[in-house]
Amino acid sequence: MTSRMLGIGFLTPAIISVAIFFLLPVLLTVVFAFTNMSTSTGIMGGDYQINSEQLRSVSEIGISEESVELLENAGFQITEAGLTALAEQFGDETAEELREDYLGETFTARRDLERVLRNLDEPIRQTRDRKTAADLFAVTIIGERFDTESQFRAALEKTGVDPVDHDTLTEFAYTGWTWTTDNFSLLLELPSTLRFAANSAFYVVCTLTFNIVFGLFLALSTFYLPSKTANTFRAIWFLPRILPPVLYVLMWNWFTWDNGFIATVTGWFGVPPQNWMMQTTTRAWTVVILINGFVGASLGMILFSSAIKAIPTSMLYASEVDGANRWQQVRYIILPQMRWPILFMTSYQTLSLLTSFEYILLATDGGPGRSTEVWALAAYHTALNNYGGNLQYGLGSAYALVLVFIGIALSALYLRFFNFKELLAKPRIEQ
Amino acid sequence: MTANSRIWHLVLILAIFSAPLVIMYVYQVIDSIAQPDPGSLVPGAIDLSNWRFLWERIDTGRPSIWVVTFNTFLFASTTAFLVTSLSATAGYALSRLNMPGRPYFLGGLIILHAFPTITLIIAIFIILQFLGLFDTLLGIILVKAALELPFGVWILKGFYDTVPWEIEMAGVQDGASRLRVWWELVLPQVKPGLFALLIISFLSGWSEFVLPLVLAPGSSTQVLATFMNAVIQDDATADFGLFKAIGMFYSIPVIVIYLVFQKQLMNIYGGGTKG
Repeated sequence: MTSRMLGIGFLTPAIISVAIFFLLPVLLTVVFAFTNMSTSTGIMGGDYQINSEQLRSVSEIGISEESVELLENAGFQITEAGLTALAEQFGDETAEELREDYLGETFTARRDLERVLRNLDEPIRQTRDRKTAADLFAVTIIGERFDTESQFRAALEKTGVDPVDHDTLTEFAYTGWTWTTDNFSLLLELPSTLRFAANSAFYVVCTLTFNIVFGLFLALSTFYLPSKTANTFRAIWFLPRILPPVLYVLMWNWFTWDNGFIATVTGWFGVPPQNWMMQTTTRAWTVVILINGFVGASLGMILFSSAIKAIPTSMLYASEVDGANRWQQVRYIILPQMRWPILFMTSYQTLSLLTSFEYILLATDGGPGRSTEVWALAAYHTALNNYGGNLQYGLGSAYALVLVFIGIALSALYLRFFNFKELLAKPRIEQ
Repeated sequence: MTANSRIWHLVLILAIFSAPLVIMYVYQVIDSIAQPDPGSLVPGAIDLSNWRFLWERIDTGRPSIWVVTFNTFLFASTTAFLVTSLSATAGYALSRLNMPGRPYFLGGLIILHAFPTITLIIAIFIILQFLGLFDTLLGIILVKAALELPFGVWILKGFYDTVPWEIEMAGVQDGASRLRVWWELVLPQVKPGLFALLIISFLSGWSEFVLPLVLAPGSSTQVLATFMNAVIQDDATADFGLFKAIGMFYSIPVIVIYLVFQKQLMNIYGGGTKG
């Protein structure tokens, strides 16, 4: 087997799954962002229908009163289809007689048609039967379901609605999703858009600063500690990274809620029990940033620690011989060497903080109010989980599309700026 | 570096910062087996009633914990297996095999590795509905495996890069096909990598929360993350003893793996995974 064939064969399964769950979703996010897809439109397309409830709002889209009247009560028309049905239920003779005298005729009032039916030579005697018979000739499209556009238009034709209104009505009656740019104009109009963007920016800047400063502090301090003590602290700080998020956030809930740790301790000093996470916006932000910050600092510690270890010890010894104290050693020897790891951490975390919402969802769910609702969480809430129940996939995709663009742009940028091959260093796994 | 007499300053500062985490860990255990009285932090008597979810339904309409645990195990292990086997072949192809478009695949891989996949979840939600895989374990397994794949391929490609060419040369010269060389000579060389990837993707699957929450919300496909979240959401009284007991049970495999493979895990996470 040639290596070329083997290569293609080896790569195919990975490419297929990447295509279905990476490339297709990227494309579809773009596509969906230009639709009004939601729970009520469904995702599979739809049919044509106007129900009696919708009829009330028809006049708002510029349909004349007469047309509305006709839609609702277009009257009765003697048609071949109706006659066939009549023949089946009430006998051929009645139908034949009606055909001869009245085919093609329309009645605006049910009363008129019923009178005709009563006065036939072969009359329909029961009142109830006459009602049933009249219904066979009813011309109304309210509440009726049409599978295709042409069927719906044909039915419209029959009602006698002014042809001027046909296009608008057809569009109105469609229950599936349609193409639209409304999502983007809505995003530009809504005041919340700016707020979510500002929330995201605030969240990313604060958490990132915390991550880097604290991660550096952890890495540096554990570097100078005797290895046993250092390992204890490393273990404490590594755990948040591998504990399941649901459990990690639960521990924070316990720490901050009104029957939790802070409330208990402050309670000893007479502070009334309160929720230290959700009471005010400031507290919510503090907790959100700490929750993410502790996890991020843990990654920072690991990355920076291995970068510090890579500094040749001779440099450190030399600085000590030259009489540098601890602080000078950190400032002039170690920190300059940390430029690339810090830059890498910054770019990597910017992207991942901007788009991840798991910890915020679990902790505050964007509250109190929507004060900690970041952009990514807004996309999730709009499209996948909201209290209204109508999930707006289209609008949510528009939110997500912004993030997808930022994601592609930044990761392509990183590819150019960093030599990723060096930065994502080869795994060093002890055997 | 040289020991310093003022080192305890540093230890003290670190200890203060670490205190919240340590308190959380300690009471995570205490609250689940010996919950203190309200308003106190002194552990009470040993009380296993918080663990009742193991032998009875905590409330009606919730699936049994063992079904949920089985789902979680199935999800995590199948995902790990899929990621590892697909990465083992794709990583080798990218590392060693001469084929058309290799630089583009490599560039694409690096971009995918950095790209935040969570932004795609709305589109994936709809794709799964189209495919009829919505609310199935198979659906979330495929999605999770696909999303972990760039990381896995990247890690294993790194391992393959370190395997000496001479091993393959020797095999090829003795008349073995490239496929056989890979299977019999190269794969054993990257065993530590395969093993590490298996562990990491298992842990990642075990902890996964958002994908099952969005893509498999039904009670028959619940995993421990969504089960625990549902219990927390539905309980108005904030029964932390119960929550923490479930949390303990949930995190047992994570803690065990952590204790056994601590050093290897720190190293591979230091290699630049998503954070």
